[in-house]
Amino acid sequence: MDETLTTRAEDTRRIELGTLRRRTRHPVTTGRLAIFVTLAVVSAALLYPFYFMIETSFRSNQQYLLGSGFSLRSWTALFQGVPVAQEMVNSLGLCAGTILAVLVIAAPAGFALAKIRFRGDVFVFLGIMGSMMIPLQSFIIPEYVNFAGLHLINTYVGAVLVYVAVGTPFSTFLMTTFFRGIPDELIDAGLCDGLGYLGVFRRIALPLSGPALATLIVLRFIPVWNDFLVGLLFLQEPGVRPFTVGLGVLASSQLVSVPALMAGSLLSTIPAAIVYVVFQRYLVAGLTLGSSQ
Amino acid sequence: METTRSTPQTGHSVGGVRPATVHRANRGLQRDRTMSGALLVAPALLVVVLLLVVPIVQAFYYSMTNWDGLTSHWVGPSAYATMFADPTFWRVLENNAMLLVAVPVTMLCGVGLAALLHEHVWGWRVFRAAIIIPTAVSWVVLGVVGIQAFAADGLINQLLGAVGLGILRQDWLGSPFSALVAVAATFVYSLVGINTLIFVTGMSTIDPTIYEAARIDGANWRQSFLGLTIPLLRRYFLFAFVVTAISAFSAVFSLIYTMTGGGPDLGTTTIEFFIYQAAFATGSFGEGARLGIVLFVILFGITLTQLRLMNRDA
Repeated sequence: MDETLTTRAEDTRRIELGTLRRRTRHPVTTGRLAIFVTLAVVSAALLYPFYFMIETSFRSNQQYLLGSGFSLRSWTALFQGVPVAQEMVNSLGLCAGTILAVLVIAAPAGFALAKIRFRGDVFVFLGIMGSMMIPLQSFIIPEYVNFAGLHLINTYVGAVLVYVAVGTPFSTFLMTTFFRGIPDELIDAGLCDGLGYLGVFRRIALPLSGPALATLIVLRFIPVWNDFLVGLLFLQEPGVRPFTVGLGVLASSQLVSVPALMAGSLLSTIPAAIVYVVFQRYLVAGLTLGSSQ
Repeated sequence: METTRSTPQTGHSVGGVRPATVHRANRGLQRDRTMSGALLVAPALLVVVLLLVVPIVQAFYYSMTNWDGLTSHWVGPSAYATMFADPTFWRVLENNAMLLVAVPVTMLCGVGLAALLHEHVWGWRVFRAAIIIPTAVSWVVLGVVGIQAFAADGLINQLLGAVGLGILRQDWLGSPFSALVAVAATFVYSLVGINTLIFVTGMSTIDPTIYEAARIDGANWRQSFLGLTIPLLRRYFLFAFVVTAISAFSAVFSLIYTMTGGGPDLGTTTIEFFIYQAAFATGSFGEGARLGIVLFVILFGITLTQLRLMNRDA
């Protein structure tokens, strides 16, 4: 009894660290079996749409309507009907540009707000945190008109700027929370060595912030990859469209068959799903920071 | 919002009388602090001011005009009065209120699944991954798949027939109310993963020995779950609520766009979809800006309430 107790405590600690490797041995009871079965059923139900997408995408429209037979016809139809590769590259480029910009903007700001006491820092902090509450739909109309005036519609720069605007407040908050956890002694040591605050940030704080930056990358990748509204408005021309927008437009045009749409849906989902599962740990880290302000 | 720092600040003047040399060194540091602080914070501040604050101020101004994207005439606060008198506006807000019902449902599913996962039965990490994956699916894909799932001969109806609820079979996207139910159900599907993850994270922070203590005191599983787990997860409940409620107001646009197009009639037109329609389908940018301000005020209210509640027990 005592032993199970300590293993459980240890498990919990390791789950937080994301390093749980050893499997805890529990006696199989009816209760635990029932939990296992429930989780299995729920998981199967939640994953069913993926099964549906996969199965349907490997059927031609006729086979889909008949419900039997498999072929690659819908996949070829998708690639013929949509510039899939181009749109995928567009999406990836938008993600990369946004992530890079957000990292370059949020990491220094987070460090300054956490570790440097400068004039007006409280106002800057409150301002940036307050801007987290501005929803995209509330500012997108003037932004669109402004960007149209600056000829930024249908340019990657324009779309990336919108994604950066959406991502900066929370990312800065995340980095601030992270840098607050770095001991002041480290900062002081660097200052005593004559590094100055900029040097301390570059040589001491930044090298320590790997996990926080990773969290930021994961948290930014998903919304940009899955974005629809910004792309729909700011990247309207087929050549610059991200993949989700291409898919959405395709769906509403009803020019292609359901199986081809499912092939496209699957293609759009796979990268995001992989990132979510593989980097779950960073997602949890982000949530922990988010809920413990 | 909490602004006090958890750690004492480096080089912060302590007050009182100091030797002149220290004072001079401090002044140099003070300058370094101000310069570096301003430099490091400048890009973020520029982005926030130019790309968020300026447009929201513009939106506020234009919300009192009849802006069409090019020209605008001042109407004044009566523009809001006109909007509030429009039954369509209230119809749309009603849809949002209905969609909010999905928020506690999602949270309950999340807590339930988290509690099951927290038992760490065989294969629980696989189950956790399976539960999280739907969250990674974009709303566009959910919409595209949802059309098939909720069709008259679709998966949902087959499922209902199989479990003996055939009486509920219908063309889900064919009538306003059932289409809204379909949107809400898809919303739950999409957000249950993130809710589960929040509660799993919360449960892993609870010290297991208190459960042992409760057990020794004679508490059964149900009692310790209701009496210990739930109260200890208070902060996580608040966080999950804000994430889910804000999503219900401002993240479902693409789902509605692809799955229902806001219809039938106005059945699934929520405020965020209405904003898009007003501005980009009918060209009344002023109306879109007004609705945007209303949305902003609603979300502001939700967030402030959360902060109030969080700080109360902090």
